[in-house]
Amino acid sequence: MSTGDTDSTAVLDAVRGSLDGVVMSTPVSQIVAAGRAHRRRRRLIKSAGGLAAVTALALAVPALDRSSTAPPEKRLSPQAGSAHVTVAFTLASHTDGTIHVTWNKNRYFQDHAGLQRALRHAGFPVLIKEGVFCRGPRDDGSLDPSGVGPGVARVMKGERKGNDTVAFVFTPSAMPAGKQLFIGYLSPSQLAVTHGNPGSVERLVSTGVPLTCTTQAPEPNPR
Amino acid sequence: MAVLRRVRDVTQSEFQDFYQAKRDMCLRSVLASVGDRALAEDLVAEAFTRAWVSWHTVRHHPAPSAWIVRTALNTRVSWWRRRRREVALESHLEVAATENGDAGLDVVLLAVLRRLPPRQREVIVFRVFLDLDTKTTAGVLGIAPGTVTAHLSRAVATLRDQLITVDHLEVGS
Repeated sequence: MSTGDTDSTAVLDAVRGSLDGVVMSTPVSQIVAAGRAHRRRRRLIKSAGGLAAVTALALAVPALDRSSTAPPEKRLSPQAGSAHVTVAFTLASHTDGTIHVTWNKNRYFQDHAGLQRALRHAGFPVLIKEGVFCRGPRDDGSLDPSGVGPGVARVMKGERKGNDTVAFVFTPSAMPAGKQLFIGYLSPSQLAVTHGNPGSVERLVSTGVPLTCTTQAPEPNPR
Repeated sequence: MAVLRRVRDVTQSEFQDFYQAKRDMCLRSVLASVGDRALAEDLVAEAFTRAWVSWHTVRHHPAPSAWIVRTALNTRVSWWRRRRREVALESHLEVAATENGDAGLDVVLLAVLRRLPPRQREVIVFRVFLDLDTKTTAGVLGIAPGTVTAHLSRAVATLRDQLITVDHLEVGS
């Protein structure tokens, strides 16, 4: 063996050895649980695929309908009110300043960027991420067992409408100055924390300061 | 029905054996490419999750561990693209390494490794960390075996120079 070969082997051994202490801590059960959730979601998407357009229409019609003919308790304002309709969700700004977002549970977790864009456009400060969890240096990092931080209930309230539809009411005026809502959805690999159920973390975080984000999924019951 | 269940059990156990045997080397391979311990673990977990879902296909891959690493790195690219768009909106955003992120890690060597050109680093990942032979590496990367050898040779030369420089710096400091 030449000196060059010996040198190369030594270099490659050094490279190989440099990461010897790095080991994967994720248990196989977590991988399998996430895989099962992934497979379930895929089946749902497949079975819902043919109905997607119908779902979009079904979701869109009530939102648009309220703005014209229906006389609900909170009519959409012709000036300030608007309706943002996508396949994934509908968003309606009401005259009392609240923003009502309705979505189909099966499609909710697929259009984070669209939801963030629509909420911001409607005047609600929000930052939505998947797989990373952010907070500012002075933000309260505590979460209740369902993954919700202090103060969130004042700016975002949820209600279930039937088996497949979820509605949330966002209140921009209740947002404390210098704060925004952070929503962090668990990535597919992190879903094992919730045993495969779609999950997210919501907390109020500061605006205008550097946010620190980690890919470490919060514990199920950190408090 | 019982036969189906038995087949499922066998493939489950096969996947679990594969995971136990290859997870650490896949993690090290991805870490060598992305440089962030927590991100690497997430990406590898995601790739193994996808492998579990498509195990009937992945198990027939010539190098399933290479499939994992490739998938993890491709996932990273899509995350990065998404993040890049978000950074344009949120210029203050930064991803921090997690507190427990540096356990068992030679950060100096990792930094040297990450300074290699991407193709050379990929060859190091597949040849050294995944222990694949030249032919399989060439197949996975879609290049000629001779090109793999050339990249490896250049990478070793660069690493040797860098490591000597680092050693001298450490001695001198």
